[in-house]
Amino acid sequence: MVMELQYDRSLYGVEHKAGPFEISRDQIKGFSKGLGETGQIHLDESAAQAEGYRDVVAPPTFCTVLVNKVKLPDINLQFGRTSMHAGQRVQYREPIVAGDSLTASSHLKDVYAKTGRSGTMVFVVWETTFRNQDGQIVADVQESFARRE
Amino acid sequence: MYLDLHSHSVSSDDSRATVEQYLKWITVLRKRGHTVDGIVLTEHRKFDYDLDYSTLAQQYGVMVLKGSELDTRYGHFLVYGVTGPLTNDIDFGDVRMDSRELIKAARQHGAIAIPAHPGRFGIGLTEYIQQGEVFEDVHIVERLNGGSRQGENERAWELCDSHGLLGIGGSDAHLTSHIATCLTHFPQTIASERDLVDALLSGQFHPIWLEQTKEDAAR
Repeated sequence: MVMELQYDRSLYGVEHKAGPFEISRDQIKGFSKGLGETGQIHLDESAAQAEGYRDVVAPPTFCTVLVNKVKLPDINLQFGRTSMHAGQRVQYREPIVAGDSLTASSHLKDVYAKTGRSGTMVFVVWETTFRNQDGQIVADVQESFARRE
Repeated sequence: MYLDLHSHSVSSDDSRATVEQYLKWITVLRKRGHTVDGIVLTEHRKFDYDLDYSTLAQQYGVMVLKGSELDTRYGHFLVYGVTGPLTNDIDFGDVRMDSRELIKAARQHGAIAIPAHPGRFGIGLTEYIQQGEVFEDVHIVERLNGGSRQGENERAWELCDSHGLLGIGGSDAHLTSHIATCLTHFPQTIASERDLVDALLSGQFHPIWLEQTKEDAAR
């Protein structure tokens, strides 16, 4: 008895675009303060410029704020009733600096089932790539959402 | 040899430890007087044919073997000696597979499938045996599991005693500092996945806590 997951497989290979997101000094400083960041390149433009950056630099997990602005479609998963956020992984690739204009592109990466103490769960994994105004990839964010029986 | 037969690296969806972090940590354990000769990466629901850890293994002097941990309708099973024909035969991502079929297919293709953490509440083999399921081809179970909650290893122990089963040990590490908390001691030398299957089939092994490796060394 193979467990055949029912969901909209036509979403594989489809990119969902969002942005541009204009990144301001205040956004980066606010995020940095919220994290308790003490590195001055994240808080002070003069310190950042002294280190060779154009302006204040976003902490590596900054894109976790932006990823929530991407509207993802319902994959119409026929399993369970209870959904929850199941985690994020950020692959930081290039510095994000105040004044950057970022765009996001998300795609469905994987849907899989697993079992544990609490029963069977199905995980839906989305991957979002952020690029800056020069087309450079600055970060990849992988987000998982779990559905329980 | 002392081998950790159950561990997960970043290749599994729920682990954050890299293989190199594990190997570095084992060098720390060795400095503390413990004996750890190798680990088996048993990634969830997959087998990493393409990943080669031989350079890292040589660099740190720790053997790294590969296996799998599969979800089945009767709990999780550790699979050692995975081969191409086995992965062609069995869908490693099918969480509802019948573990009895997995055990048969594994043996047919030169591998061996062993119930992981059988005492685990809600999902361990013990639960299904208590429900009346019969597993005639299970002769070995994971008797010591480093991820077990209170009472779960004890249930595995009771299962071994009541059914005459042999036991192995594995950390079930998902974090660096959890590696090698439980091990399996083999009297013979193991250098490959094939050797590991042969050693398990020989029945000459026993599970052991990390701390006990110090006591063994002192004897």
